[in-house]
Amino acid sequence: MKLVLEPEKCIGCKLCELACSAKNESVFNPRKARLKIINRYIEAGREVKGKFCTLCKKCLEVCPTEAITFNGKWLTVDDELCSGCGECVDACPEGIIFLNDEDKAAICSLCEGTPYCVEWCPKKCLKLEVEE
Amino acid sequence: MCGVVSKKVLKTGGGRIKSYMGKVLRVELSSGKVVEEKTKEEWLNKYYGQKGLGFRYLLEDIDPTIDPLSAENEIIFTPGVFAGTIISSGGKLAITSKSPATGTITDGSVGGSIGAEVKYAGYDAIIIKGKAEHLVYLYITPNKTEIRDAEFLRGKGTHQTDFILKKKLKDEEVKIISIGPAGENLVKIACMTSELYRQQGRGGIAAVMGSKNLKAIAIKGWKDVTVSNISSFLRAVGEINKKHLLTPDNSWTDYDGTLVFGDFMNDGGILPTRNFQAGVSPTYKRLHSEMVDKRKKGNKACFGCALGCGNYIQIDNIDLEGPEYETLNMVGGNCEILDLKTIVQFNKACDDLGLDTISTGNIVAYIMEMRERGIHDFGISFGDVENYLKLPEKIAYRKGIGNELAEGVRFLSEKYGGKEFAMHVKGLEVPSYDPRGSWGMGLAYATSDRGACHMRAFPITEEVIEKTVDPFTFEGKAKLVIDGQHYNTAKFSIGICDFWALDLNLLARLLNMATGSNTTEEDMAKGGERIWNLGRIFNVMAGFRRKDDTLPERFFSEPLPEGPAKGKVLPKKEFEKTLSEYYQLRGWDEEGVPSKERLQEIEVDKEVIEKFERYLSKG
Repeated sequence: MKLVLEPEKCIGCKLCELACSAKNESVFNPRKARLKIINRYIEAGREVKGKFCTLCKKCLEVCPTEAITFNGKWLTVDDELCSGCGECVDACPEGIIFLNDEDKAAICSLCEGTPYCVEWCPKKCLKLEVEE
Repeated sequence: MCGVVSKKVLKTGGGRIKSYMGKVLRVELSSGKVVEEKTKEEWLNKYYGQKGLGFRYLLEDIDPTIDPLSAENEIIFTPGVFAGTIISSGGKLAITSKSPATGTITDGSVGGSIGAEVKYAGYDAIIIKGKAEHLVYLYITPNKTEIRDAEFLRGKGTHQTDFILKKKLKDEEVKIISIGPAGENLVKIACMTSELYRQQGRGGIAAVMGSKNLKAIAIKGWKDVTVSNISSFLRAVGEINKKHLLTPDNSWTDYDGTLVFGDFMNDGGILPTRNFQAGVSPTYKRLHSEMVDKRKKGNKACFGCALGCGNYIQIDNIDLEGPEYETLNMVGGNCEILDLKTIVQFNKACDDLGLDTISTGNIVAYIMEMRERGIHDFGISFGDVENYLKLPEKIAYRKGIGNELAEGVRFLSEKYGGKEFAMHVKGLEVPSYDPRGSWGMGLAYATSDRGACHMRAFPITEEVIEKTVDPFTFEGKAKLVIDGQHYNTAKFSIGICDFWALDLNLLARLLNMATGSNTTEEDMAKGGERIWNLGRIFNVMAGFRRKDDTLPERFFSEPLPEGPAKGKVLPKKEFEKTLSEYYQLRGWDEEGVPSKERLQEIEVDKEVIEKFERYLSKG
């Protein structure tokens, strides 16, 4: 399963980012969201795209303490094992991993199958795609 | 970095009162001094954020009699209380100053992302004073504020400014608000732009920026915004969204956006046409919302708002977020320009050059009528597309006739004549609603704190849209306007956008959820009245009295020629009587000066009352 965005329907409200930081970090702060929506005007017109966890597992591969695991559906970080080294932050090709206030890796877990970001999307253009 | 903070651990920011940040940033451009101070917490319960907090700081800091374009004037940026949270429509940023167009206090708000970014940078207010020696921009982050050279941006439009600054800062996600050449050249109708299509439109605050040699502010924040109890907050906001926000009543934001007003105004006979010579337009369908819908590529929202009222359109090779209703009619039908592509070109030019489209359209229509009447010939007639398209640049760079147009219709009428059809109040051009078919709106324009403004009270809802109140009487209108002014003032001070018509009870509930306060619906109305009186105190101290609370002569003496308001004018005697009633209900004297007793009753703070008393005793 993974997150997908229909860019033509996205209004750029970023409620998904706010929902993510609120649920996972208990604050409102888009820089602490585990996904990133880009919806802005550029010289060539308008640019809309989403950056989500693609389950490439590069973070898991570089983690020196084996704190990151994959259960076949989503990633999980074991805070006991995470040393806060930030290797995963650098390895993430989407640039959406960060270290939280406790210095632990904050990685999208798809809210264990019911992503809160999807729940808050007012246009239903952010979806959870489940492969059969 | 894609907006994601890397290895550095983020520490929670925030003031003692939840959802506020606890700090104010002051920048003095003459000396280059930048200081942080604590937000005056005792003001937050009385004046909240956005408009209210901006008014309170301005009243504290400046002498209301100063020249608006002098170094002593301030520009105050205040986000709403909910900015940065998940409450929809709560992300606007108020910009308060003494207006160079009117000489009154003025506040205008801008949408987009910049309001939330001010909070994420750690501030409840950014206050700018003084004058830089050369053109500069501010780069604000939670770590540091720098005053940086901006000569390389001189003469650049707001769109290029946005692109160039982002490249220079190597940051596509930095939030920028800037002025165009209009602001640099102290044009009285200059507006500020953020993210290309979000404007703080009215009152010429961008000229105050220009007078301070301040081209732009770039903000990058990463602090947390916190609320009283986040899990119950999320649950409650989710329920409120379902019940009160994402409802059929608000679905117009999805389809037409503000263009929905066009039908109401034309059907009500109050759609300004040919500089307010008529209230219905025979060619109105040529600029109908359906024409815009055909070009629509998608909706665009402000940060944190589920409504997404912006229409992103493409027409041939031109793209634009807009035009809004006000623009479409003021620079369209009101100038007898009926081609959508021409209007879109004009609109985009105004956004880029930093010109308020309402005032620009009003001025252009005025000089068209001046020519028609043989008062003065600026070389442009109603419907003259070719000359029309040259005007934004002429005004913004003060080229040729643009130099005088840049001063607004009041200036033009005083120099050349034609005062009776110079459509302004206190020097601010009238927006796209004719009060002859909505008498309450006439009183709202006359008593608005910043001149002819449709966002201080909007009795058109009752008089024209819902038709629950007779539009052709002043009976009950003083109270209707006062209630509207208090409602909007509370709403724009807590910080909810005009486009969410929530009631004060819900507003109070949201405030309590965010801050943990125990505010009631009654407190909200009282808060609105308190802040409204701050504006009046400022304006009285700046010299405004009853004589200024009036309307262009056309509304009093020229009947509308056709439509539902055919033959109607605002009867002047009755208007004056209603103005007296309005003052009485407010506890103001016959000149519109607030009484000490009422100010105490509505709990304006002691310092303000004493300051005002000192002013009054000096005579």
